[in-house]
Amino acid sequence: MKGLVIWIRTETKSGESLLDDLGRDIRDRGGRVEVFHSKTVEDLGMEKNDRAKAIACAMLAGHGIVVLASGTEKSGLNSGDTLEIREVEESELRLDELHDSFLRNLELAGLIPPPRFDVNPDEEKEILKKLQDLGYIDSES
Amino acid sequence: MLVPPHGGRLTDRQYEGGEAEKIIEQVKGEKLLTLNTREKNDLEMIGNGAMSPLEGFMTKNDYESVCDLMRLASGPVWSLPVVFASKNGDPDVSPGEHVGLKDREGTIWGDLQIESVFEADLAAEADKTLGTNDNSHPGVAYLNSLNGKYIGGKIRSIRRRDTESFQNYRLDPKETRVLFRARGWKTAVAFQTRNPIHRAHEYIQKCALEIVDGLLLHPLVGETQEGDIPADVRMRCYAEILKDYYPSSRVAMSVFPAAMRYAGPREAIFHALLRKNYGCSHFIVGRDHAGVGNFYGTYDAQMIFDRFDSDELGIIPLKFEHAFYCTECGNMATSKTCAHDSKSHVFLSGKKVREMLKEGKMPPPEFTRPEIAEILMEASRKGDNR
Repeated sequence: MKGLVIWIRTETKSGESLLDDLGRDIRDRGGRVEVFHSKTVEDLGMEKNDRAKAIACAMLAGHGIVVLASGTEKSGLNSGDTLEIREVEESELRLDELHDSFLRNLELAGLIPPPRFDVNPDEEKEILKKLQDLGYIDSES
Repeated sequence: MLVPPHGGRLTDRQYEGGEAEKIIEQVKGEKLLTLNTREKNDLEMIGNGAMSPLEGFMTKNDYESVCDLMRLASGPVWSLPVVFASKNGDPDVSPGEHVGLKDREGTIWGDLQIESVFEADLAAEADKTLGTNDNSHPGVAYLNSLNGKYIGGKIRSIRRRDTESFQNYRLDPKETRVLFRARGWKTAVAFQTRNPIHRAHEYIQKCALEIVDGLLLHPLVGETQEGDIPADVRMRCYAEILKDYYPSSRVAMSVFPAAMRYAGPREAIFHALLRKNYGCSHFIVGRDHAGVGNFYGTYDAQMIFDRFDSDELGIIPLKFEHAFYCTECGNMATSKTCAHDSKSHVFLSGKKVREMLKEGKMPPPEFTRPEIAEILMEASRKGDNR
């Protein structure tokens, strides 16, 4: 899978909680995720600005990891052969419909794994009954 | 775990019962657009998820991307346009409008939320997707019958089970997936066919079955061209041969309600991706798959798979040569496994078989099992070979 940086554009620190939520979602699908909080920049002793954060994100994502970060500007980060950068407004991600379509587009582009596919149990029961009635499976299946 | 659907999710835009009634109610008073046979087949397959990740007829972006790059605009591999053509006599429509979809008799089959209305260069489409502009190609003739305007957007499809043919063999992708799991299959190979089954097909299917858990026989029953053996005759042949010659626990047959496009290599990819949605991990690609006349090279439909990463296709093509009975070997074989020349091979062209059947002559048992030949001869006598 191509490396991906999801950069949430935000003027405030509230974007940071979104990073964790999004990170959990992608991790649940089996994605390899690194959430890059602003505090991480400080903890690493790097200069506290978006440029330093962007460089660190690109380095991580270059190894095929999905990296999540937030800030005012993704300075110097550009998509290339091995790295994809997707920017999104914090406000968009807070709307369910836009949140879903943002993730769906990443899935279709092969940048994050899709959620595990399963038929819901009630529907599965109905289908099994149909398959029995048509003789595809016997009643013990 | 079975292979995931193409694009990760199985789309579900099929409605019946009360939900279908609601759609019919909603389109009352709205403009109605007319589906032709191919579009009706496509509507059904978008609705039941066989064409995942498509949620409707293609918009301009997807159409152009598919024609030029064999990809949807959002990225996934997709080799053929799935479009709705404006018909002469239908009302003019614009993006943003909600319309009903009806057949020529006026029955409502679904609705369309229009996102895109665009002029298409049909000659360029034919060239890019069919590789020819020759009107003797059935796909080109189809395009030449259109007026060049396409209408794209998300659909909802109404299911009318009472009108469906082959009801005992009609399984949606969700249903084949449940079937495979119930039978304990983790891998399954799909066999696409629009021909009756001869020994060569049986041999190839059984070779494939040696390496996977199950075989999905998936005869195409949507629109085909004049001269193809009718679907009900083909289905009778398959049902007959399954009774005595295949292990029932490792084979399932259901119909594939797609229309043939005769697009050769691009259609081979298309057929494979749709079978992935049905839960198949492997797909049999013979020589000149989905070809017609001499429009495609013998191996074009096999080689096109090499243009994509296996991960992005998500289904493994099993590439087979023509099979025949070798009188020297004393068994079925292909040029990959037989050392003898063609004088030892029992192989008949489709044309030769049709001639024999017309004359009431039984093809040799090394070519067609007698039970199948009987069905074909009876159909030929009744004039079922169109």
